[in-house]
Amino acid sequence: MKHPARVVALAVALVVVVLGVVLALNVGNDPEQDAKQSHLVGKAAPDFDLPNLAGGRVKLADVAGKATIVNFWNSWCIPCQQEAPALQQFFAAHKDDSDFVMVGIVRDDTTGDVRAYVKKNQVGWTIALDPENVAALDFATRGQPETYAISPGGLVAAAKYGPMSSTELESFLAAARASG
Amino acid sequence: MRRWGPWIALGVVVAVALAVVLWPNGEQSPAARAHELETQLKCPECQGLSVADSQAPTSRAIRTDIKRRVAAGQSDEEIRQSYIDRYGDSILLAPEDSGVSLLVWILPVVVLALGATGIVFALRRNREEPHLHPTDADERLVERSRADG
Amino acid sequence: MKAALGYAAVAFGAGASVVGITALLAGLQLRDAFLLRFGRRCVFVVLLAAVAAAGVMEWALLTHDFSLRYVAENNATGTPLLYTITGLWAALEGSILLWAVILGGYLTFVVLKFRRRASDPLVAIATITGLVVALFFFALMLGPANPFRELATVPVDGRGPNPLLQNHVLMAFHPPILYLGYVGFTVPFMFGIAALVTGRFGEGWLADTRRATLVAWGFLTVGIILGAWWSYEVLGWGGFWAWDPVENASLLPWLTGTAFIHSVIVQERRGMLRVWNLSLVIATFCLTILGTFLTRSGVIDSVHAFTQSDIGPWLLAFLGVVAATGIGLVAWRGDQLRAPGRIDSAVSRESAFLANNLLFAGLAFVVLLGTVFPLIAEALRGSRLSVGEPYFDRMATPIGLALLFLMAAAPALPWRATSGEVVRNRLLVPAWIGGLTMLGAVVLGARGLAEILAYGLGAFATAGIVRQFALGIRGRRRALGESRAVALGRATRSNPRLYGGLVVHFGVVLIAVVLAASSAYGANRDVKLARGQSATVSGYTLTYLRSHTERSDQKTTVSADIKVERGDRLLGTYSPAISTYPNSTEGIGTPSVHTGVADDVYLTLVSSPNSQQRITLGVRINPMIVWLWIGGGFMALGTVLALAPRLRHRSRPLRTSAVAPGPDHDPEPRDPEPREEVSV
Repeated sequence: MKHPARVVALAVALVVVVLGVVLALNVGNDPEQDAKQSHLVGKAAPDFDLPNLAGGRVKLADVAGKATIVNFWNSWCIPCQQEAPALQQFFAAHKDDSDFVMVGIVRDDTTGDVRAYVKKNQVGWTIALDPENVAALDFATRGQPETYAISPGGLVAAAKYGPMSSTELESFLAAARASG
Repeated sequence: MRRWGPWIALGVVVAVALAVVLWPNGEQSPAARAHELETQLKCPECQGLSVADSQAPTSRAIRTDIKRRVAAGQSDEEIRQSYIDRYGDSILLAPEDSGVSLLVWILPVVVLALGATGIVFALRRNREEPHLHPTDADERLVERSRADG
Repeated sequence: MKAALGYAAVAFGAGASVVGITALLAGLQLRDAFLLRFGRRCVFVVLLAAVAAAGVMEWALLTHDFSLRYVAENNATGTPLLYTITGLWAALEGSILLWAVILGGYLTFVVLKFRRRASDPLVAIATITGLVVALFFFALMLGPANPFRELATVPVDGRGPNPLLQNHVLMAFHPPILYLGYVGFTVPFMFGIAALVTGRFGEGWLADTRRATLVAWGFLTVGIILGAWWSYEVLGWGGFWAWDPVENASLLPWLTGTAFIHSVIVQERRGMLRVWNLSLVIATFCLTILGTFLTRSGVIDSVHAFTQSDIGPWLLAFLGVVAATGIGLVAWRGDQLRAPGRIDSAVSRESAFLANNLLFAGLAFVVLLGTVFPLIAEALRGSRLSVGEPYFDRMATPIGLALLFLMAAAPALPWRATSGEVVRNRLLVPAWIGGLTMLGAVVLGARGLAEILAYGLGAFATAGIVRQFALGIRGRRRALGESRAVALGRATRSNPRLYGGLVVHFGVVLIAVVLAASSAYGANRDVKLARGQSATVSGYTLTYLRSHTERSDQKTTVSADIKVERGDRLLGTYSPAISTYPNSTEGIGTPSVHTGVADDVYLTLVSSPNSQQRITLGVRINPMIVWLWIGGGFMALGTVLALAPRLRHRSRPLRTSAVAPGPDHDPEPRDPEPREEVSV
């Protein structure tokens, strides 16, 4: 080969250009946000069957045909406490809607602490207990708080990891209703 | 033969050690299987740690779930697939060897092979150039030294 | 006022860089010695400007001046003094400032060292290159990474540093030492570019920058090891290396840098591998910039991603320019650099160094590919995938074992060529020691393939190292009748590079053995304990004594006292803790570690006392971790030894200065070839 240095340099240049393009496309990413996209959006919501804090059980079948907001939380996580007022406001605004149901699922907490919290904060929506993390894993949660919107037809319409604002809750409800 | 004797003996020693280690010794224990799976799954709420290494609540939940599934008789592939179905491909810490992911396994081998080939060629080329044909300069040198006597 | 002062200092530095570059260029063109000297003096101004800017920033930090956004974000009135000082490098803008200061220092060193060769175009072009790099960093600080940005409304108190950055005294050492390594590789890079531009490819630039390169490499090595130590002691997950993208970013230039310090030996001895070395040095510098880009641009998810910033595009553009320049220069000049020397035999030290370089380059490729592959996959298939520890371990282990083997065999290989018999005789005893170690490990219960190979090859390498020292001592005793101790000292000092390198290799062996052992052994359990209750893990008994809660302005810390015993021997009381900071939603765990010769007992508080006063304690038994740090110490020691000046024989008559080589000129026997290539 007469000019090996040139050939190798060209090959290296090619690789560098490819690398540069790939990196340039990704500048300005927020990798934490990317990592938290739920894989479940657009798919059927996982079935769950959990004890209800008020007695009895709560199942996915119970909310069939309604736009459902499922909120994973527990009593000691700080972002959960941050989103609590927004959740309260949202529930108060929509609790009389006939096609709406809200379920809170508690993970990594004791029944006693949950009961105390619910009583102290007058939490009005259904609370299910998930001490074994069964539903948490079925829903592929990444931590808490995590909120899912389920359409009346049982599809996951939207999902978010992190504290919710009132606007986000409204848009989740709209998405659930729209998904059908 | 005497030169090679000690080396052959050494080869035997090493072979014995390797044989003991590589001998198929039956199924892994359930605990070992669970641990292996835990190192293959990424903790969903951390940045890059495996489920085996992370202390996050979701990791601990997944560890418990894996142990439960292993005890229930699910195969490694089934367990991995159930997590991929829920969390997506990115829950696996090492890409699968199919499709685009194959690239990440193959490319380094290709690059190393290319490099090794390049070196071997360079070595060969260096050695295959004995100057068997006298150049003009050589001829003149010989003439001069003959003339000098 | 401070903001204006600081910004002015940065602007001054940028200006001095521009003036220096212009003066040097003009001086080269016009062959004007005055201009060249003036241009060089601008380097001092650059250093002063950077130091002044850093000084102003420290002043602002120490006086808690929250009118500066950087101080408000990284400091608070309650921040302890140490972490106020280290606040200079706690976030992006300050790190760039630190980089500029260190770069100024290295450039000043170059200018002072080469002051007698100021009219040499090689030196002038190298200085210009260095000033261009400095100009880039000053421009960053004038633009997107301005450390002296002011806030419109001055807050009453600052946010304080990230909790993880005020946890441990290592914060004072790890970033500066790492940067001393990163930035130091600018020096050989400068000279590599200058060599390509001037067409002078002889060993001149190599010999001149050898020490600086080794210093940079040494700092980078220590910096990476301190990073691993930090990961272990501070982050609390119980490991020391997670193949995190930012860890990989620091490893990449280290890999190519290590390849370089080996292959330059071939270039010095035989004049070969010039193009390759120039490429390595340019690649190493590019990788330091790439590393900064990966750390700071948010492109990849990482534990280090503390700050999002706008400098990503700038860094990428600079990287593109540097890479294009380097590749272009090599493509232009590369084929004129063909070396006269050739490799005579496959069984020679040259071949071993070639194999070494191939393996290090291959490993660097693996690390780079694995780190950016999630991005490539996303571009190709639309969804991300992860590349983590299982991938890197599986790819790096065979390469690492092959490198261990080379480390063991290469010192016995002579230069040029030899008969197989000579090598076999030299290696027989060390190889047997390695083989018996392998067998011994298996007998003692080891069952991992990579693990026993690591033990065997490590023993092989160590025996080879001991053999080299023994040969050196024996030679001197036979020739000069010295005692063993004196012979050791004098032998080492008469060839510090060889013996320093052997000490570094020994450090590497220790680290390799720890890596092998830690993957095979160790225990990891969570135990729930009530007060007074005990649990036993791997022979260690842990008893939960009591818990404390401390509240301060800065944080609330809950800690648990755990008594650790082995059998009936008390090892001490250790207190893992969880701290919550007012400005952060999650608790930060602080591990507590009992370090033993054979094991570390690593305790973390997984959950603080609940309503029944029970805690969950995370217990990990990590084997042999202390030998990692000891191995790192040996690597540092070996580097210092290799940098020591050679001891010359006083028995020889002193030569006159006209003939004697300069202090840095390597008097080792060399091929008789011209120092500078005549371009054909």
